[in-house]
Amino acid sequence: MHLLDVAVSTVKSDRMSIGFLVQLGGSAVSILVLVLLSAWARIARPTPALDGTTVRPLILDEFPQAEPDSIWFAADGASAVAKAGEEALIIFRLGDGFVTRATPWAQLAKARRTGDQVDIRLNDPAAPRIRLRLDADAAWPPMLNPMDER
Amino acid sequence: MGSMEKPPFDVVTLAVPAFVLLVVLEIVLGRLKLIRAQYEPRDTAASLAMGLGSSIAGAFTAALVAAATIWVWRHRVFDIPMTAWWAWVAIFFLEDLTYYWFHRLSHERRFWWAAHVNHHSSQHYNLSTALRQTWTGGVNGSWLLWLPLALVGFPPAMIFIQKGVSLVYQFWIHTEAVRRLPAPLEYVLNTPSHHRVHHARNPRYLDRNYAGILIIWDRLFGTFEPERDDEPCRYGVVKNLGDFNLVRVAFHEWMAMAADLGTARNPKEALLYIFGPPGWSPDGSRDTADVLRARWQARVSSRATSAE
Repeated sequence: MHLLDVAVSTVKSDRMSIGFLVQLGGSAVSILVLVLLSAWARIARPTPALDGTTVRPLILDEFPQAEPDSIWFAADGASAVAKAGEEALIIFRLGDGFVTRATPWAQLAKARRTGDQVDIRLNDPAAPRIRLRLDADAAWPPMLNPMDER
Repeated sequence: MGSMEKPPFDVVTLAVPAFVLLVVLEIVLGRLKLIRAQYEPRDTAASLAMGLGSSIAGAFTAALVAAATIWVWRHRVFDIPMTAWWAWVAIFFLEDLTYYWFHRLSHERRFWWAAHVNHHSSQHYNLSTALRQTWTGGVNGSWLLWLPLALVGFPPAMIFIQKGVSLVYQFWIHTEAVRRLPAPLEYVLNTPSHHRVHHARNPRYLDRNYAGILIIWDRLFGTFEPERDDEPCRYGVVKNLGDFNLVRVAFHEWMAMAADLGTARNPKEALLYIFGPPGWSPDGSRDTADVLRARWQARVSSRATSAE
């Protein structure tokens, strides 16, 4: 028997059945229930606001080679930008975790500001856009403070 | 189609109700603080939706995989009966060995990593993470690795059943609720502790513990790393995703690979962008797991020297 014959007979015996569709529907309902349950449980990990104390271990873990000399914290505590030479080290909260990226400082400085938000575009399909929230009267590029005086 | 060619039941489908109940149990016991379990709703939604999408995507390629397996089996070298106990023992070990190499390939070569990365993109490690499955695993040809089992003579039904058993086994190890099993079991089996290491992004733990059911393969091939109490696992990928968008979860590495191919200056670069290790770049400006581990080891050595 040729491979093509086997393929045709397999497709005939495996064609999408009503049972499969029922299973998909049941799975979709289960997902909804489980997500609602996880929201009700409130067992996400604690994610403290970023400040001088909380950012230090993050920088050590995520940018172990970098030696940032200055840093800016977003007013809402959800993001921070450290400057190490000509590089910007961006840290931002996603869910109950943090995501980090390094990008040239010049690119960060050119990011578009709209009201109290700054959109940083990266050439990275895993994180093409980072949105930071600012105080309404905050400057951009951000005013940095020395790391030691956080 | 004979009973040797098509399994009478699908192990994974049968296990789905148990998966759901165990996730409920983990969340409720976590809420009651009886076990360690952390769930973030959007992360959970992404993981479970990836699982559902994987079922749908798998339906499109299942017939091809089944047909190829059956065709190869019809050209088999030996006749292995499904009713012999030794045949089940043999396929248990051989399928698990095959899984080890499939899994290792899926981490160490970008073409297969692109399909597998989504399973690692959660920053959480709970039972919902186990269901965060690939949408593109059927099209990258990794299923070819199981065809030699059919060529040897294992009936396709046996192969599919054992693959299902392996997948079901691997569900329960995605938890922080179980700290360590008794030492003899930790020595032989892939356990929650060993698999936490596999999902960790700490340089020490990168690309370690590829096992399916038996951890012996990692011990044998030099990829075993025990979990250390003084170095908690940080979960996710080296560069975590910037949002919970499902399309990004499923396809971001394929998109990155396509973008890189557009910049390749010659065929060798193009091939290395596809089949090189994840993180490879022509100028070394990105980091592979080996580079990250070497830098970490250098830092550790440097600190130790300074302390002396």
